[in-house]
Amino acid sequence: MEKLAPNGSIVQLKNVTKRIGRRTIIDDLSLDLPEAQVFGFLGPNGSGKTTTIRMMVGLMAMTEGDVIIRGHSVRDEFEKAIRHVGAIVENPEMYKYLSGYDNLLMFSRMIPGITRQRIDEVVELVGLKGRIHDKVRTYSLGMRQRLGVAQAIMHKPTLLILDEPTNGLDPAGIRELRDYLRKLAKEEGITVFVSSHLLSEMELMCDRVAIIQAGKLIDVRDIGQTADADGAGGAAFFFDVDKPEDALALLAGAHGAQAAEGGLAIVGGREAAADVNALLVRGGLRVYGIRMQNKSLEDQFLEMTGGERIV
Amino acid sequence: MFDFLQLVANENLKIYRRIRTWIMFGILVILVLAISLIARYMPGGGDGSGWSMMMTETFLLFIMVTIFTVVVSAETVAGEFTSGTIKLLLIRPWSRSKILLSKYISVMLFAFALAATLFVLGFGVNALLFGMGGAREEILAALGTNRDISPFSYMLAYYGFEFISLIMIVTVSFMISTVFRSGGLAIGLSLFFLMGGSVVTMLLMQLDYAWVDYLLLIHLDLTNYLIEPGFELRDGVTLGFSLGVLAAYYVLIIAVTWLVFNKRDVAT
Repeated sequence: MEKLAPNGSIVQLKNVTKRIGRRTIIDDLSLDLPEAQVFGFLGPNGSGKTTTIRMMVGLMAMTEGDVIIRGHSVRDEFEKAIRHVGAIVENPEMYKYLSGYDNLLMFSRMIPGITRQRIDEVVELVGLKGRIHDKVRTYSLGMRQRLGVAQAIMHKPTLLILDEPTNGLDPAGIRELRDYLRKLAKEEGITVFVSSHLLSEMELMCDRVAIIQAGKLIDVRDIGQTADADGAGGAAFFFDVDKPEDALALLAGAHGAQAAEGGLAIVGGREAAADVNALLVRGGLRVYGIRMQNKSLEDQFLEMTGGERIV
Repeated sequence: MFDFLQLVANENLKIYRRIRTWIMFGILVILVLAISLIARYMPGGGDGSGWSMMMTETFLLFIMVTIFTVVVSAETVAGEFTSGTIKLLLIRPWSRSKILLSKYISVMLFAFALAATLFVLGFGVNALLFGMGGAREEILAALGTNRDISPFSYMLAYYGFEFISLIMIVTVSFMISTVFRSGGLAIGLSLFFLMGGSVVTMLLMQLDYAWVDYLLLIHLDLTNYLIEPGFELRDGVTLGFSLGVLAAYYVLIIAVTWLVFNKRDVAT
């Protein structure tokens, strides 16, 4: 019944396409989500993140393709597929005239096997114990977000989908959420799928990110492997020298040398850096420091998507 | 599978946890009490029959039952879209059809609760203030029927026929609520059916075309058939014919509602 795909992924998006009229919103998107990872879904506003998530949870119909969750097709076996999914799509809207507890109680009735004890446990976990019997109307955005997380993890899903979860959270709340999501992935083996347009946030939170722009998947990469010192021409070094003009003249454009604030920058790996250093020292220049410059995900993202362009 | 009734219980919770609902019940109760007490204690009053008082109140207040149910029905789907909660509701392991059905059932249960309140209260209060005695022929004449049945059976039949009309109007409201996701539009259009319906019906009845027989509007007041056995609304339009037309419309309305709800992309 519950099976992993041969490649160990628990969720597969297969050629998912959404067309509305003649406009293609999502274009042939395929993605495998491995077990027990925090998987980021990154893209500028309007790139189709929320539409993709809506299709994954059956709120929108796919024009083509399918989403397989633990071996069940969202298209054909919706009830079986969605059984193992917890989600917040956009804002965590709850019934405002009910208490937080009644909201949870209501959702718990829709999925078998959730005891009152489990509800209490989840309430404790998200830190809403003191206010859970108050009406949701009186909650702050942060508290609603917590309640949203509570309803999403109540039934111990294997896939947790959070759409822009850090929206409206204060820095402490963001940090707490981040730690919590990492814990869910590592300790409970839950696959967490988080969408965001906040790049720095994704770098801290995710094991892997998929980057989407204008409905197309541009890249999937592991976080932490982006800064490869020996990468083929990918890395950059900064040289802190006493006379940058002289140094630039000396190098004459070798290794893509160009002026940078307080010194000069080159593009190249470690070997290139050593060569440039030798050249400079031999030329009588004083080198105070050499720093490798990691391109942050943000730089790469902007590079790839050409800025925050919404197409 | 696990319990579908849990879904209905959830929908009931959403109805009865709102103050609005209890205000509706309150208005109904107060109006029944007020009308009966005024009729009993006003100068020169107090000698009518309990049955005709109950009839008068039913005639006036069943419209309230319909209006209140229309309001609840109009909100039940459209409200979820407006508040965005529909997204949390639809990502549970339940088909959309069943979720919609649970909503429909809860609305009908609410209508039944209101109607039952009106019936029990109307009977109880008037029995207490006026008594339900009197010559049977006189009572039946006062109720406006030539049928030979007990007043109690007549009242039950009257409520039954009114309830059929209510189901039709509320189902229309439920459909508009689902299709257009607008509670206001659902309330407005359904109330037009309820209020404007009788005026339009009177005009339509003048027309001698056969297609008029198949219009939904002219069949919405079934209580005419209680006047006498074999009553015909128009030439050849009997109770059976009316019920047949209503059933056809009902199936159509329900089909459209469920089809649209199942196919809809939720992009609130």
